[in-house]
Amino acid sequence: MSTVLEQIEQQIAKLSNKAVKKNTGNIRAIADGVAKLDGLSDVMYNEMVQFPGGAIGIALNLEEDEVGCVILGDVSQLKEGDEVQTTGRLLSVPVGKGLLGRVVDALGRPVDGKGPLDTKEFFPVEKIAPGIIVRKSVSQPVLTGIMAIDSMIPIGRGQRELIIGDRGTGKTTIAIDTIINQARINRQAQASGDKNFRPLYSIYVAIGQKNSNIARTIAALEAAGALEYTIIVAAPAADNPANQYLAPYSGAAMGEWFMENGMDALIVYDDLSKHAVAYRQISLVLKRPSGREAYPGDVFYLHSRLLERAARLDGKGSLTALPIIETLAGDVSAYIPTNVISITDGQIFLETDLFNQGIRPAVSVGLSVSRVGSSAQLKMTKQVAGKLKGELAQFRELAAFAQFGSDLDARTKAQLDRGSRIVELFKQPAGNPVSIELQAAVLWAMQNNYFDPIEVKKVMAAANHLKDFLSTRKTALIDTLRTKAAIDNALAADLKTACDEWKTTFTA
Amino acid sequence: MATHHKQALLLARRLFKLSFADGVLSPELVNGVLEYVAKHAPANPVMVLKAYHRLVATELSRSRALVEHAGSVEASVLRSIAAAMTKKYGRPITAESRPNPALIAGLRVRVGDDVYESSVAAQLATLAAGV
Repeated sequence: MSTVLEQIEQQIAKLSNKAVKKNTGNIRAIADGVAKLDGLSDVMYNEMVQFPGGAIGIALNLEEDEVGCVILGDVSQLKEGDEVQTTGRLLSVPVGKGLLGRVVDALGRPVDGKGPLDTKEFFPVEKIAPGIIVRKSVSQPVLTGIMAIDSMIPIGRGQRELIIGDRGTGKTTIAIDTIINQARINRQAQASGDKNFRPLYSIYVAIGQKNSNIARTIAALEAAGALEYTIIVAAPAADNPANQYLAPYSGAAMGEWFMENGMDALIVYDDLSKHAVAYRQISLVLKRPSGREAYPGDVFYLHSRLLERAARLDGKGSLTALPIIETLAGDVSAYIPTNVISITDGQIFLETDLFNQGIRPAVSVGLSVSRVGSSAQLKMTKQVAGKLKGELAQFRELAAFAQFGSDLDARTKAQLDRGSRIVELFKQPAGNPVSIELQAAVLWAMQNNYFDPIEVKKVMAAANHLKDFLSTRKTALIDTLRTKAAIDNALAADLKTACDEWKTTFTA
Repeated sequence: MATHHKQALLLARRLFKLSFADGVLSPELVNGVLEYVAKHAPANPVMVLKAYHRLVATELSRSRALVEHAGSVEASVLRSIAAAMTKKYGRPITAESRPNPALIAGLRVRVGDDVYESSVAAQLATLAAGV
């Protein structure tokens, strides 16, 4: 008992007798998660403000005689006249490897019931993006495990690649498959003891989504064993708009920790359309002037300052961003989509029509582009997929033209046949990423006409059969392909032998 | 409604700026403002006067040190607080005493929206937050 008393006495002794200065104010009005405050003459922009009952706010509007403040947390106990005080601190969130495998809210507090976080460091939520000098160009790949993307729209570490499309076209699936594929690569490299391997950690930021959807995503990651390499920042639809507005910045702060400490991270913002809507709500309640579609004037800066934080730093690590934007009726020229398209280094456009035709992932090859990723593409992928985008674009053009008549010359017919086979080859079920070496082998088989004798609707089955054949019976060849990452004459001969052997085993 | 509110606020701010003589809020000028409002009756006079009241109250609180205390405080202590605050803020500040038994012991001095806390109640609150 005396020890307890001593502890209390020590604690009391620690408390200085000096007067503590506080800068205070009062709630003048409170509504919709936003408070108007009197006083607080010392408050700084974006500073945390302490409300009674433990709630905190962020000062967003500094006016001549009042402060506009968004409140994070429970506002039900707050009332007009309550005293608030400045904290002198910017909003910060916990960062570090202790967050991996955890689900946290926009303030970095665990919401998964797995106990307190094992983290000591904090990073500010808002941070100036790295400058020009410290940046390095993209040269290492982020492998999504999706053939259509890795071969035609490659993504590099430090890149910002937008995933855009209507609702229900598989945007989240692409992001989740990428996380799962990276986790698989991490595990594989750790098991092989490769010391030069740089693991890619993932951060998934869910903004304004249904709780059931977030739970499904967590379950998918857990089932695939990817959760241990992933941090989930959840700001569901039930959260107040302030939390939804902050969540991407919190996620970016967590990703920056990996980047600053020489590691690589991938961050998925799912999705920035809802983020813009949350920010619009806050801005309207704060009575900021509204512009196009009632968004405030700084909605471009909202996303540019977030996405500019993704970078590859010289001598340090990288942060790759996969923002997601939901379009309405495929309209990519709407306000928020055009903003984000102009900020990012390319986009993966998903089409509803393709999705409904059963072409999944429903990647529109014509509208999708990766501006910097090709310099990060592995040599073997370049060797086998260099002409694919052009061939597919030609196929789409010819397919539209061919609908007008049946008299086609042999060359056009051959191009159409080849195109429809490539389309079939790129069909891939969700949650089933393919390793890059298998992708290269299958594409090599395609380029060398191994799929030509196979009926178009059986190409997908044949490709799956070939993948199984190679991964079970030709492991040495696949391992060589992985380590060499390029197809030389000897490897091409081995691939030919393997494909010839597969041809005899596959019966269409 | 929002426009009316904004206009009332703008007028209140203008009247407030006119209430100063040599950088100090003048009671005569404040009376003059009240007479002007009574005579000319601007749109939304209640809204204007409420906003004006808030601005004047904030200004007055900046030149007054409200000393809350548990137990008695000697006049010399109040004088020294007033002198210290006048020196600190660079403007004449008067001290005003207000008993507050909830502090248990010690003082709380409030100048404008700055609060200087040196009370047992505040220390106990810090202790409770740390446990």
